[in-house]
Amino acid sequence: MAGTPGERPGQDERTGEEKPSGDVERTGPIAIARHVKDDGRALILYSRDAQTHT
Amino acid sequence: MSERSKIGRRFSELRGEEVVYAIHRQERTFLPARDHCPLDATRPGGPQTEIPFPSFEIAVFDNLFPSFRAPEGAAEVVVYTDDHDASFATLAPERAEALMWVWRHRYAELAARPDIDYVFIFENRGVEVGVTLHHPHGQIYGYPFVPPVAQLELAADRRLGGCAPCALLERELADGERVVHQNDGVVVYVPYAARWAYEAHVVMREHRPSLLDCTPDELRLLAAGLQALVRGYELLFERSFPYVMAVHQAPTTAARPDGHLHVEFYPPLRTADKLKYLAGSEQGAGTFISDTLPEESAAALREAIDRAG
Repeated sequence: MAGTPGERPGQDERTGEEKPSGDVERTGPIAIARHVKDDGRALILYSRDAQTHT
Repeated sequence: MSERSKIGRRFSELRGEEVVYAIHRQERTFLPARDHCPLDATRPGGPQTEIPFPSFEIAVFDNLFPSFRAPEGAAEVVVYTDDHDASFATLAPERAEALMWVWRHRYAELAARPDIDYVFIFENRGVEVGVTLHHPHGQIYGYPFVPPVAQLELAADRRLGGCAPCALLERELADGERVVHQNDGVVVYVPYAARWAYEAHVVMREHRPSLLDCTPDELRLLAAGLQALVRGYELLFERSFPYVMAVHQAPTTAARPDGHLHVEFYPPLRTADKLKYLAGSEQGAGTFISDTLPEESAAALREAIDRAG
């Protein structure tokens, strides 16, 4: 179904700051939640609240 | 893959540039009714949108009607908010700052892909520049080549013997007449040779090739400078102000050429109710004919930004 967690891990080839911290991937102060849509397209939700949509 | 979903490129020998064919885009959603906006959150009981959640802050997804896609590039949509009636200008400062982090993250991920040579973040605002969805959003193209404008900027570096935006920023600050706003992180000015009547560039004070090189404070100040400009635009003619916003950064080829992060705005309005069209001289000869002087435009824009506070 749409909104299932995606499989791609956090990537960080240039900055060293995008790696997952605990269970939550972050970019700076922003939490990242990866999903895959019904048709296979990637959907990423960014939030200041780490619990949102994860 | 059907014939009509293919994306192709042809090189124009006469112009020395790539032309991209993405003919499925003829079918893309065009100015839908407000209650059928695909960029809204999915309301309980309502039609499913591109974002199948009842609320969200910032969302990024692969474009349903891409101009580029893996393994030859990328096309993403960046939705700034779930508030359909908002705009970049009306975002809370914290949300605009968060958007800078999102841009930075997308630049980092797309730059790491070997098929992407240039990451281009942009926003088309207003039907005057071809917007097909009113919900506040921007786009990101990952080009499998370095496009002509980026190449021109690299050529300007070579011509000036160093970073062209650094040199031009120094000139603009020394002159001062076209500077419309500044903070500790960015300077906003109407360029000396502006092509559009109210063209403006938001330039990092320090040499920062990309968003990856900015400090958290600089990202906040970049967001503040961008918002100051677009809020001034809104007051300039007391009407919704269309523009193309183009984020220029270093190309992401293996050679990692230099760049200087800056954001260029190309508004098509030359008065409150007249558009600048790209006609004979602009299209046929490649030379802009402007009806306004950059210094006069800067004075009006500076006053509008000051009024916006």
